[in-house]
Order: sequence, then structure tokens, then C-alpha cells
Amino acid sequence: MKVVLAVFAAILAVASAAEECYTDVVETCNNPSLKQEGVLTKCDAQYGGIVSAESDLQKLANSLIHRSFDFLLMATHYGNYIKNRPGFEKLFRGLSDDLWEDGIESVKYITSRGGQMNFKNVHESLAADAGSLELYELHSMSKALDIEKSLAKQVFDLHKETANHRVDHYDPEIGHHLEEKFMGKQKETIRKLAGHAKDLGNLLNEERDPSLALYLFDQYLQK
Amino acid sequence: MKSVAVFVVLCLGFVNANLKCEHKIPDIPQAWIDMDNSCTNVVRDHVLEELKAALQYLAMGAHFSRDQINRPGFANLFFKAASEEREHAIKLIHYLLMRGQLTSGVTGLINNYKLAPNVTVWTSGSSALKDALNLEASVTSKIRELIKVCEAAPAFNDYHLVDYLTGDFLTEQYEGQRDLAGKLSTLEKMTGQHGELGEFLFDKELL
Ligand SMILES: [Fe+2]
Repeated sequence: MKVVLAVFAAILAVASAAEECYTDVVETCNNPSLKQEGVLTKCDAQYGGIVSAESDLQKLANSLIHRSFDFLLMATHYGNYIKNRPGFEKLFRGLSDDLWEDGIESVKYITSRGGQMNFKNVHESLAADAGSLELYELHSMSKALDIEKSLAKQVFDLHKETANHRVDHYDPEIGHHLEEKFMGKQKETIRKLAGHAKDLGNLLNEERDPSLALYLFDQYLQK
Repeated sequence: MKSVAVFVVLCLGFVNANLKCEHKIPDIPQAWIDMDNSCTNVVRDHVLEELKAALQYLAMGAHFSRDQINRPGFANLFFKAASEEREHAIKLIHYLLMRGQLTSGVTGLINNYKLAPNVTVWTSGSSALKDALNLEASVTSKIRELIKVCEAAPAFNDYHLVDYLTGDFLTEQYEGQRDLAGKLSTLEKMTGQHGELGEFLFDKELL
């Protein structure tokens, strides 16, 4: 009887990779020592390209969290009594809140695909960017635009990886997730910041002192 | 000042000869800015402590979300706690701004590389709740240290900040600690005889 079952299990293992979990259950339930350990190792949520995409997904989540803190500091700078620009503060705080939520959602997403988060797996672009975040208005707007574009690029790069038709990379579900959760929103944010940078550039491109233009622009940002 | 000059040169050189990128720094009396540096510095440092706690909770949320752990209730509890810790950091920043602080050194307020949590795996829901309770206890004792420093500041006893820390922050600490201890107690009793089933059922209570 035992031999028959063992052969049966072996046939199952060879015949069908899609029944790995079932095979695992059959093997474990029929083997007294495995049964005692009681651990099923092949019943996980992984399929498609998650194993090869996991590291890049971790980097994306870390970038979102890291950049949310960058924007928090930019908001803080505009909240001090010398800068006193509640409109800029509100804009950057909003960007910070969005990225923080996106970061948490990204961590959840990794685990939804059977992956794990690693908070120490940081994207190369972050280490290279360690400049001051206490910037003048036009500078801060351009900085914000660059940050959002760098995040959009990270999303595109990852999307390309998951569209790779090598068996262990191809994963349209990850691609779909990136499209749905990031691409539309990033397009809007980038367009908005580019518009702000263009407007500010035009407003400051005058012989007059820029203080009044900046004041009015800040009033506009508060709305 | 030097960096301001560099900015001006960059603006003039790169973009447009007429672009006015900077504005003048206003001249404002300083007498109202009365926080002692020793007190300001410990509050600044505590911003990072709150964010460290946020990332630690985020790691707990990530762990309990895993398919191989599958405790969505615990994950939910810890993800919420992560955002609350971030709010605490923002409250401290707002307080410092209200007192005329953070006009310089803002970039150095958060060091991202000090935030990544060291512990990211737990053997059970109960072990994570214990870690959470100990984390809160250590934050509480750090807030008490803040209070001591700001009371004994060389300039003067900063009782406004001390009142804020005591009334707002310590209240939340003590309420949060009681809540965690209560949850842990219930869980310990449920898992005592029933192990896995106890944790499974308790997890669903946390959803
Ligand atoms: Fe806190």
C-alpha cells in the first residue's frame, strides 16, 4: 500500500507542476516523519514573475517611503516663520502623504503576491541624491518634479521587466498593478508640477522683486 | 550665505539673465524665539524616534501580511500604528515650527538610513505584541527624558512644551500601552490551551 502511494505521489510530482501544493499535502500526510513536522512548504501564493520582480518591488516601496520623508522635510521648510508659505507647505505635505500611502500599499502588494518586504534594499538613485531640501520656491518645485519623474521611471523600468517574455519574468499582473496604482496618478502629478514650475518661471522672469509674485502664487497653492 | 550666492550664480548662468530665483530674507525680531537649544535638540531627535517606530510597525505589518503567516488582523493593527507614529513625528515638527524653530537644519532632521528596522520576523502574534509593547515603553521613557531636559533647560523651564508632551504625548502612550497589554493578555489566554486556533480567532478580532 505504502509503495503504491509513494509511486502515486512521485507520478503526481513529475506529471504536474501545477499541483505542487496538492503533491506536498499528499506526501506530507503519508510520511510519518514529515507529518510530525506538519509543515507544508509548497503551498504559497507565488506564481508568474514575482520571484524575479521581488527585489525591484522592494526598492520601489523603499523609494516611495524615502521620498515621502523628503517631501515632508520640504513642507517643513515652507512651514517655518521665515519662509511662511502655507501653499507650498500644503503642496509638499500632500505629496508626502500620497507617497506614504503608496509605500504602505506597495508593501501590502508584495505580500499579496507571496513576496517579502526588505527595508534595506534601496534603489541606487536614492544614495546618489543627498542634497539640501531647504530650497527657494522655483528650485523646490523643480526638485519635486524631478523626484516624481524618478519614481515614474522606476515604475516604468519595473513594468518593462515584467513584460519580459522569459518564463520567470513575465507577469502581466504586476504590470497591471503598476498601471492601475501608479501610472495615471503619476501622470497627473508630473503635469501639475511641470505647470507650476513653468508658471513660477514666467512670474519670476521680470525686473521686479519676486516677492509679490511668490506671495500670490502661494495664495493660489493654498486653494 | 555662500550657498545662496551659488544659487544666484546658477540661476543667472543657466536659465535666464532676468530670472529672480531668490527673495530677500526679512528682518524679524528674535526675542520671541525662546526655546533653549538643549530642549530644541532633544525634540528634533525625537522626530526620528517616532519615525523609527513607524518603520518598525510597518515591518510588523509586512510580516503578518505574508502568505506564509496570513494574519491580516495583526497586519491591519500594525499598519495603522505605523501611520499613527508618522503623525506623531509631524505633530512634533508642527510644534517646533510654532515656536519659531526649524529655520535651518531641516534636511538633517530625518536620516532615511537610520530608519530601516532591524527586526523583521516574528515567531507569533504574541511575540510581535510583546515587541510592540516594549517599543512603546521605550518611547514613553524617551518622552520622559525629553520632559526632564526641557524642564531643566538653562534658559528657563519650558513648561508649555512640557505640558504638551505630558498632556498629549504621554496620554497617548499610556492609553496605547494599556491597549496593547490588554490585547496581549487576551491572546495569551486564548493560545494557552488552543495554540494555533486561539491566534487564528484572535486575528479575526483585529480586522
Ligand atoms: Fe508615537
